[in-house]
Amino acid sequence: MEQYLLDFDLKVMAPELVIVSAAALLSVMDLFLKETASRKVIAVLSLAAVLAAGVFAVMGFGHPPYQILGDTYRIDSFSLTFKVIILAGTALVLLLSLHLNKEEIETREGEYYYLLLTAVLGGMVMVSSADLITLFVGLELLSLSSYVLVGIRRKDLKSNEAAWKYVVLGGVSSAFILYGMSFVYGLTGSTNLFVIRDRLMQALYSGYDLFVYLALFLMVVGFGFKIATAPFQMWTPDVYQGAMTPVTAFLAVVSKTAAFALVMRIMLIAFLPVFSPQISVGVEKLLMILAALSMIAGNAVALKQTNAKRLMAYSSIAQAGYILVPLSTLGFVLFPSLAYYLLAYLFMTLGAFAVLDVVTREGKNEELHVFAGLHQRSPWLAFAMSVFLISLAGLPVTAGFFGKFYLIINAIGREQHWLAGVMILTTVVSYYYYFGIIRQMYFRSPASLRPIPVPWTAGLVIVVGVIGTIGLGLLPDTVLQSLGKIDWGSGFDLAKNAVRQ
Amino acid sequence: MSLDPSLMHIAVFFIVGIALPVVALGIGRLLRPHQPSADKSVTYESGVDPTGDSWVQFNVRYYLFALLFVIFDVETVFLYPWAVVYDSLRKEMGLFVLAEMLVFLLFLVIGLIYAWKKKVLEWK
Amino acid sequence: MYLTSYLALAAILFSIGLYGVLTKRNAVMVLFCIELMLNAVNINLIAFSKFGLFPNLTGQIFTLFTITVAAAEAAVGIAILIALYRNKETAEADQYNSMKG
Repeated sequence: MEQYLLDFDLKVMAPELVIVSAAALLSVMDLFLKETASRKVIAVLSLAAVLAAGVFAVMGFGHPPYQILGDTYRIDSFSLTFKVIILAGTALVLLLSLHLNKEEIETREGEYYYLLLTAVLGGMVMVSSADLITLFVGLELLSLSSYVLVGIRRKDLKSNEAAWKYVVLGGVSSAFILYGMSFVYGLTGSTNLFVIRDRLMQALYSGYDLFVYLALFLMVVGFGFKIATAPFQMWTPDVYQGAMTPVTAFLAVVSKTAAFALVMRIMLIAFLPVFSPQISVGVEKLLMILAALSMIAGNAVALKQTNAKRLMAYSSIAQAGYILVPLSTLGFVLFPSLAYYLLAYLFMTLGAFAVLDVVTREGKNEELHVFAGLHQRSPWLAFAMSVFLISLAGLPVTAGFFGKFYLIINAIGREQHWLAGVMILTTVVSYYYYFGIIRQMYFRSPASLRPIPVPWTAGLVIVVGVIGTIGLGLLPDTVLQSLGKIDWGSGFDLAKNAVRQ
Repeated sequence: MSLDPSLMHIAVFFIVGIALPVVALGIGRLLRPHQPSADKSVTYESGVDPTGDSWVQFNVRYYLFALLFVIFDVETVFLYPWAVVYDSLRKEMGLFVLAEMLVFLLFLVIGLIYAWKKKVLEWK
Repeated sequence: MYLTSYLALAAILFSIGLYGVLTKRNAVMVLFCIELMLNAVNINLIAFSKFGLFPNLTGQIFTLFTITVAAAEAAVGIAILIALYRNKETAEADQYNSMKG
């Protein structure tokens, strides 16, 4: 018996449906609002839609995995957790964007908000798909929206250039991913991840192993671009610098999280046969080398940055390296540690970007010395930034410390001591540039003593960031245990209601 | 080696397609008088005297129209497979097949309204 | 064998496209080269849907999706290029270098 859309409980797709209808309605609404009317209402409605979608996503927990639309789309604990992280990140980004004024987005204010919605919709499709075609469509929806978001300031040369670099390198990476996917399809005759898993096993044992590795290699190159690991990271600093700060925060947090979920799905379902111990070809080694390279390159180049956003870009490259550690080692606490780190990363990065946005906007400058003497101007802002930087550097008692600690446990548990060593060494190197900013804030004299005005929305993001960063750091075990209770394995098993058994 | 009959059709069309212009131009060349002059070698531009370089920059508006055309043109590609299986699907699912495509078209229409309101469809 | 020649053609197209993206100075040519890479993928998919290990129609469906997405990507690329051209007055991609570090 075939199944069709109406047979399914549409409730399971509620988060996506909320976002897609909001994006469609708001784009029409933007057209028919008066030219002079404020677009704040669109911003508030998008925020409401994202929050509603988040509530629906949380309500979806506790059910067995469920596959719909001909097995192409699945709702399980894995996808729901990632959806919640993505939606939380987007909500904070939206909050941070609320005080952007018309001039800054060059009267494209409405577009900015619904492009964010379509981008997050793409991210949600990515984390929920069990089929190469839907995965690809989700990835492209996220990417295309991001290209436009990066270039939304049409009159700003930097923004244009950043968008151009992003679209070219994004296009190339999509082509690599697709070329890899085409070989996977050729070997397995299917785009369903579970069918691929079974048939790749056969392909490996019947003399097609080289094609399997070729496909894997092409896809790793493509994903390397998308999650910005070295040596495919060259677009990151330019794009992060050229985009508006909230957009940069979106790319750093939401896009990266969604891309990681995608990589995990493809690696741990479709390419699982390649990871099996009988076939030791060093795919894990390849990923570990990528992770190590990102940590080294990101942290080393960050040392000589003077632009705050470029520094954050290199920092995010290094963070991508850390996040790759549990996946490449297939550690014992892979999912809980990864989810913990992604949560910590969400709070500290968004918080840091919020402070950066407020400070650079006031100073009309993105160089690091705008932070000079922040302690004397706005002590609370300086305190919050210190918390985020200490957490990013990975010192106790913050979320970043325990996050890194759990990530390292994966490497040590699998006896990959060299990887743990690289991680610790590069972390120590990173102290230098993170503390460079703290030094600026506390030991340099400010250009003026005027306190920095903080809009309440940005203030809220900063407060949420501080609470999240310190809260995760104070209760790491509780959080990790509750994350461990999530049924992660269900994300990688065929659902009971699958059409193809 | 025996050839597929459908390949023979293609071969015949191929030969005829090449032969026709060659023969037509060849006969013309044999029959016509040959008296070249300066006026005759001028580029023909609908009877108007040719001016300027042929490498002119196109108005950027052409690009906008082209972009819009490409997007909407390519989206129709999804209508064809749907139309092919429409009858067989309708027997199983009823009018829901139609509703699904209408949802898709609704989004295209939103795109069109968007372009319209943004005055991309007007030539200024 | 049929399949090998199709795969070879796709591989050549993909390589030409990649080479072009890395070396071409004209920004429009860079976009063309990306299209070339995506079309190589389409050839691969169609060839596999006919001569693959498990031939079926899924590959052709996948192709429809890549074609449409490639069109959208080209449209966004050209639009960004137009904005860039208006500000910079050049389509030479190696002139787009205002950010350093």
